[in-house]
Amino acid sequence: MINSSGAGSAISAAGRAPVASTSSQSAVVSRTRLARLALLALLLPLVGVAALFVGSSALAPDAVFWSLLHPHAAGVTHTIVWELRLPRVLIALGVGAGLAIAGALLQALFRNPLVDPYITGVAAGAALAAAIGFTLQVAFALVPALAFCGGLACAALVAVIGGNETPAGNLRLVLAGVAISALCSALVTLLLLHGGQANGMPILAWLAGGINGRGWIDLRWTAGYLGLGIASAFLQVHAVNLLRLGSVPAAGFGLPVARARFGVLVTASLITAACVAVSGIVGFVGLMVPHVVRRFVSGDARWLLAGSALAGGSVIVIADVLARSLMPPTEIPLGVLLALVGVPFFLSLTRRPVEL
Amino acid sequence: MLRGENLAVHYGTRRIFSSVNLGVSPGRFIALVGPNGSGKSSLLRVLAGLQKPAAGSVVSQGSSMLIAPSANPPADLTPFDLAAYGLALRRKPWQWGLPPAGHARIAAALERCSLTAHASSCVANLSAGEVQRAWIAAALAVDTDTLLIDEPTTHLDVRYQIEILHTLKALTQSGIAVVAAMHDLTLAARFADDVALLADGRLVCGSPADILTPALLSDAFGITVSLHRHPEEGYLICLPR
Repeated sequence: MINSSGAGSAISAAGRAPVASTSSQSAVVSRTRLARLALLALLLPLVGVAALFVGSSALAPDAVFWSLLHPHAAGVTHTIVWELRLPRVLIALGVGAGLAIAGALLQALFRNPLVDPYITGVAAGAALAAAIGFTLQVAFALVPALAFCGGLACAALVAVIGGNETPAGNLRLVLAGVAISALCSALVTLLLLHGGQANGMPILAWLAGGINGRGWIDLRWTAGYLGLGIASAFLQVHAVNLLRLGSVPAAGFGLPVARARFGVLVTASLITAACVAVSGIVGFVGLMVPHVVRRFVSGDARWLLAGSALAGGSVIVIADVLARSLMPPTEIPLGVLLALVGVPFFLSLTRRPVEL
Repeated sequence: MLRGENLAVHYGTRRIFSSVNLGVSPGRFIALVGPNGSGKSSLLRVLAGLQKPAAGSVVSQGSSMLIAPSANPPADLTPFDLAAYGLALRRKPWQWGLPPAGHARIAAALERCSLTAHASSCVANLSAGEVQRAWIAAALAVDTDTLLIDEPTTHLDVRYQIEILHTLKALTQSGIAVVAAMHDLTLAARFADDVALLADGRLVCGSPADILTPALLSDAFGITVSLHRHPEEGYLICLPR
C-alpha cells in the first residue's frame, strides 16, 4: 500500500518530535559504538602490561611492578623490564596501531576491502628503500624517511595503474600492487646477494618482520614519524568518510577529491614507512584488524581508526608475546607468525561478501 | 538557478553533444530524456561541476549536487550517517560529533523524505527506493538548491518509482530545482514541468507536450511512439510501437 506517495505526505514541515526521535536513535548507536571502543581501550593496557611479564627470563610479578614504579633503580630485573621488554611492547603497540590505521585508510581510499599496506605495494616500496638505506649504512634516523619515499612512490604507481573505482579498476589495483611488491622483493633479494653474508643477514632478519632487539633508540626515531602520521590520519577522518561514499558523492558534498585522496595516500605511506623501518615486513594486520573493527565497532572512519589503533596495538603485542614464547629459545619472526593466521583469514574474505 | 551555456562534451575524437543550452530555475522539475549513450549522464556531470566540458560554461547561483545511480553507500551506513557525512566538511577535524543544529537539520531533511523511521537503519536493510531517498535527504541536509539525479527510478519497482518521483516533485514545491535523467517517457511527462530531449548531439527543451511528439521521439529513438492522454489526469502516455 502506498500511503506516503502523495506530495503532501512525502514532504512536511520539520517538527520537534522527529528531531528528538532521530537524535535519540543516533545517541543509542553512538553509545553502543563507544562501549565497544571502550572495551578495546581496556584491552590494550591489559595486554601491554601482561606482555611485560612474558619472556625468556621468568620474573616475579611484584618485581616487575616494582621496577615499573622505580624507573631509576638498578638491577637485572630493572634492566630486563626497562631496557628490553618495555620498549619492545611500546614498539609493538605503535606498529600494530600504525599498520591497522594505514590498512583502514587504504581500504577507504581505494574503496576496496582487500587492500592493505602490503597489497598496495606501499610496504614493499618502503622495504626496498629501507633495505637500500641499511645497505648504504645510512643513519637509522633517515631510514623511515627513505622508506616513506619508497612507499609513496610505489603507492602512487599502483594508484595510477589501478585508476578508477570500478570493479575493473579495483582488480587492476590489486594486481598492480602484487606485481610491484614482487618487483621490490626481487630487488631486495639482489641487494641481499650483493651485500654478502655480513650485510645480508641483518637485512634478511629485519625483512622477516619482528621487533626482536629493538630498543629505545629505535622507538625514539620511529615515534616521531608514526605520531605525525597517526595525528594526520585522525585529522582527515571526515574526508575519509566522504571518500568511502565514492568520488562523485564526495565531490557533490564539496570535498576536493584529488587533494583529499593524495592526503590520505601520503598519510598511509608515512605510517607504513615508519612501521616497516622499525619492524620489517609484518603483514596482514592492516588487512585483518580494520575488518574485525568494522564489524565490531563501526565502519565510520572516526570509530574505525580509533578502534583499529587500539585493536592493532593489542594484536601485535599478543603476536610478539607468542613469537617469543612458542618455540623457546628460538623466536619466531613476527611476520611469519602473522602470515600463519593472516593467510587463512584473507582466503576466508574471498569466500564471502565483504563491506567497506 | 543553474544554467549551462553552449556546452560540448567530447570523448577523444567522439563528439557526444555540442552547443547545448539548459537552464533550470528554482522550483522547476526538468526530465532529461534521450537514447542510451546520448550524453545525459555526461551533461549532468558537467552541470554538477564534476566534469570539464570541451566547450561552454556553467553558471550557478546556489549549490547543486549530483546523485548517481551507481552510488551505493556502504552497507553499514544509516541514512542519518549519510547526511552527517555531508555535513562533515562544515566541522573541524577534531569535532567528533555533530552540533545540535546539525542534528536538527538532518532530522528535518530525513522527515522531508519520509525517512524518520529509518534514520538509524543500516542501508543494507533499506529498499532501493529508501536508499535513493537517503541520498536526497543527504543533499537536502547540506542545503542543495539544485538536485541533479541520474536515473532516479532505475532498479525500482513501480511503487518506489512513483514514490521517489512524488518526493522529487514535492521538493520542487519548496523551491528546489530538479534535473532528472529518465528513461520512462510517461513518467517524465507526468511529473516534469519541462522535458529536455538529448539526441544526436543536440538538445531541445520545452513543455512535455512540445517535446514528446511522435516526430521528435521517432527521430531520437528510431522507433514509432504513439501518444495518448490519461483520461482523468490528462498527462501524456507514451507507448512505443
